[in-house]
Amino acid sequence: MNRKIYLSVFLVALIIGLMVALQFRTTNSIEQGVPFGRSQELSVELNQLNTEKKQLESEIEDLIQKIQQTTKGQAEAKEVLTEELKKTRLGAGLTAVSGPGIEITLDNPSAGQNKGPGETIFAIRDEDLLRLVNELNGAGAEAISINGQRILATTEIRWAAPFINVNLTRIAPPYHILAIGAPKNLTSALEISGGLGEYLQSLGAQVRIQSYENLTVPGYTAPIEFRYAKPTKGD
Amino acid sequence: MGILAWVIILGGLAIGILAGLNVPFLIPQLYAKYLSVAILAALDSVFGGVRAAMEDSYDNTIFITGFFSNALLAAGLAFIGERLGMDLYLAAVVAFGVRLFQNLAIIRRHLLKK
Repeated sequence: MNRKIYLSVFLVALIIGLMVALQFRTTNSIEQGVPFGRSQELSVELNQLNTEKKQLESEIEDLIQKIQQTTKGQAEAKEVLTEELKKTRLGAGLTAVSGPGIEITLDNPSAGQNKGPGETIFAIRDEDLLRLVNELNGAGAEAISINGQRILATTEIRWAAPFINVNLTRIAPPYHILAIGAPKNLTSALEISGGLGEYLQSLGAQVRIQSYENLTVPGYTAPIEFRYAKPTKGD
Repeated sequence: MGILAWVIILGGLAIGILAGLNVPFLIPQLYAKYLSVAILAALDSVFGGVRAAMEDSYDNTIFITGFFSNALLAAGLAFIGERLGMDLYLAAVVAFGVRLFQNLAIIRRHLLKK
């Protein structure tokens, strides 16, 4: 009987000690942390804030999409403008171009090649080059250069004895004229009987025409300035 | 009450406290309230037992059953009160608190009479 009492007293003491210690630790941790009611409040607030955050996030996504659309539009516009600029530069002759074409080599008659009187005084003049350029343009040449000088809309070919000026640059014989276009058309335009080639040859000039699958015509590199011409409004 | 009884009581307490301090888990905050009420009930039972022992009317069975049933009942009351949205554990706190002090007072008188 006595042993039973001791056992139960021991058990009770053990359980009390256990519970008190546990509760002590729990209470301690609660005091360090947040009280229960407060934590509930905070969790409700957290939920609200989470919902709000989600809404804001979706808004952000929306705005990002809008920005992307706008940026995309900008990029497209830029692309279009760049393409336009490229085309314009190509049309103006500011870029080097390559393609099938012909090379015409013109030279003054050499001293020993004289065939008759009157021919020795012949030298290729600006008019000859002008006619040649005109003929080539007529035959559908898309890009022409003379001794590396690209022919532009404003290019002059002018006799400045004893040289010829092209793009304000002196060029000297032999003249290498490069033209891009259908080689057949260009060649036939020059070699047609009674045409320019025959005419120049009859004057004693050395004319050589060669077709190429691929040749490169340089672009005009100096800056272009318009000091007087202004674009009209509405263009 | 011999030395053996004190050794058993203090030893039990010490082992229990050591175990409680070293148990790797904590009571969740939700249940801390119930445990505190249970502790109060258990303490009340203990002091009741001490008082009974001093009045020489100690019954081991009553002590043990009272100890566990009071603790469980107090915790259960707190739980039900929580479910009903009522601070029912306050009733347990008041009841056991009052009885605790009464027991303490009687024990004190017995001790002083000796």
